[in-house]
Amino acid sequence: MNTPNGGALRRFAAAAVSAALLAALALASAACVIQEDDPRPVTFMAGFKPQANLPFVSAYVAQEKGYFAEQNLDVEIRHAAQGEHLSLLAAEEIEFTTVDANTVLQRRAEPGLPIVAISLFGQRGQQAFLALAESGIRSPKDWEGKTFGYKVAVPPDYLAILEAADVDRSRIEEVRVGFDPRVLTEGNVDVLAAFKSNEPNVIRNLGFETVMFDAADYGVPTLGLTYISRQNLIDLDPDLVRRFLKATMKGAEFAADPDNEEETLDIILKYAENEDREHMRFMLSAELADAQSAGTESKGLGWMTADQWRAFHDSLVKYGALAAPIDVESAFTTRFLEEIYEGAWINWP
Amino acid sequence: MPAPSAAISRLFGDLAYFAREGAVTLGEAVAGFALGSAAALAAAALMAHFRLAERALYPIAILIKVTPIVAVAPLFVIWFGFGPAPKALIAALITFFPVLVNGVIGFRSADSGALDFMRSLNASRREIFLKLRLPSAMPFVFAAFRVAVPLSLIGAVVAEWFSGDSGLGSVIIVAHSNLDMPTLFAAILALSAIGIALTAAVSALEKRVLFWHESQAFGEI
Repeated sequence: MNTPNGGALRRFAAAAVSAALLAALALASAACVIQEDDPRPVTFMAGFKPQANLPFVSAYVAQEKGYFAEQNLDVEIRHAAQGEHLSLLAAEEIEFTTVDANTVLQRRAEPGLPIVAISLFGQRGQQAFLALAESGIRSPKDWEGKTFGYKVAVPPDYLAILEAADVDRSRIEEVRVGFDPRVLTEGNVDVLAAFKSNEPNVIRNLGFETVMFDAADYGVPTLGLTYISRQNLIDLDPDLVRRFLKATMKGAEFAADPDNEEETLDIILKYAENEDREHMRFMLSAELADAQSAGTESKGLGWMTADQWRAFHDSLVKYGALAAPIDVESAFTTRFLEEIYEGAWINWP
Repeated sequence: MPAPSAAISRLFGDLAYFAREGAVTLGEAVAGFALGSAAALAAAALMAHFRLAERALYPIAILIKVTPIVAVAPLFVIWFGFGPAPKALIAALITFFPVLVNGVIGFRSADSGALDFMRSLNASRREIFLKLRLPSAMPFVFAAFRVAVPLSLIGAVVAEWFSGDSGLGSVIIVAHSNLDMPTLFAAILALSAIGIALTAAVSALEKRVLFWHESQAFGEI
């Protein structure tokens, strides 16, 4: 039935619905504004157990000193137990993690992960080769006739040293030994691929001095740990990447200041509760030493250049760690470092 | 995650490689199984006969059972080197407990009437063991073997994660490190095939040895 009263009622009802919709829209918009002001949730996964690796420390400090909060980030710091961090990043479960530069290039090559390094902590490689001081091994040439233990795969740095020092590889027995450095102290191997910031001190604590051979000392281009993220996050949400990097590099800057050493160690031990303070001190010191270069002195910690990456890439190709050349330029970006630094200092906040 | 077809094509695309690595793991697992089972059966025979032996050995058996393999595997590398020995020993360790427990129950499950009969014939302990206890224990022992055979493979694979350049465990750990999922799952498929073949071999042996036992009347489980 279509009566004048009925028409008025319908118009009234339509107006009421419109008003309700407008009110709901306004409320939703207000809610959106409130959400925009909320800290952005972010997950950072350190690539191993809690310890004084500089990329881990930078995140710990950023969390504990409130740098993340100042960048309006709500960061959850997690640790990978079995190397799952890269898969989780690719699966978009986490936003940032750490891997070495070698892994960045290898995983971009195969299986083609769209990962991008946004900061380079290790201006030199994190691995070196150790022999016991008492073994009499003083140069790579002395490795001939000896047993060399590597962790998972024969490192390209090792092959580069052999070539640089004219060592006959066929005279070295190579064996995969895993991650227990006692194979060196127990005499199972004579030369061991080791993490510079960790195993020399572990072995010293076992009562043995070591001689260290670092590929970088033989003119081999090496790079260490990086922060990485996904290409799509960088493309779609560069502000988030910038804020994360700014806070963490501020954390790195804090940790690198000798006056802050004890406070930094206090922070590390909040995360690495069962670790020995002196061992963490050794690790932090070694990591900081490898994080410095001429480039970082002028441009700030984490700095990297295309030349560094290209030389490193070419070395990996030469020694078979990369099956074929890849597009190096897309494996890293200095865009965010350029945005957050003024000279060698963070433009804070 | 790779598509199942990717893992299958990786496996059959390089079958010789996976067969070669699988043979290494199989050798270590079989050696460990034999060693662990022999030790467990010897200990079970002692424990079934002597309460003192049971009290002395059982806590050690529990200790072996609860010790995480991943904690001791690096030590085995240091003690026994990078060859097959530490892998076989880890496989033996993991095999030991199920065979021991079933062995003890089996050796004690001899029919009491038959036991009394043999004693009345003045049979020696050795004769009672060989002619009565051992046959009575066999169904229990084979049940344990069915459990222990796949365990021995797991033991060998886990041990291979810690050292050495060969075996499916080594293939898995390197593939995992390289995020090479087709190779990783192809290795798992190869491992599964070996496990199924080993279990089938144990079933066939059980059928031949226990042809007289009522469990065989129902065919294979």
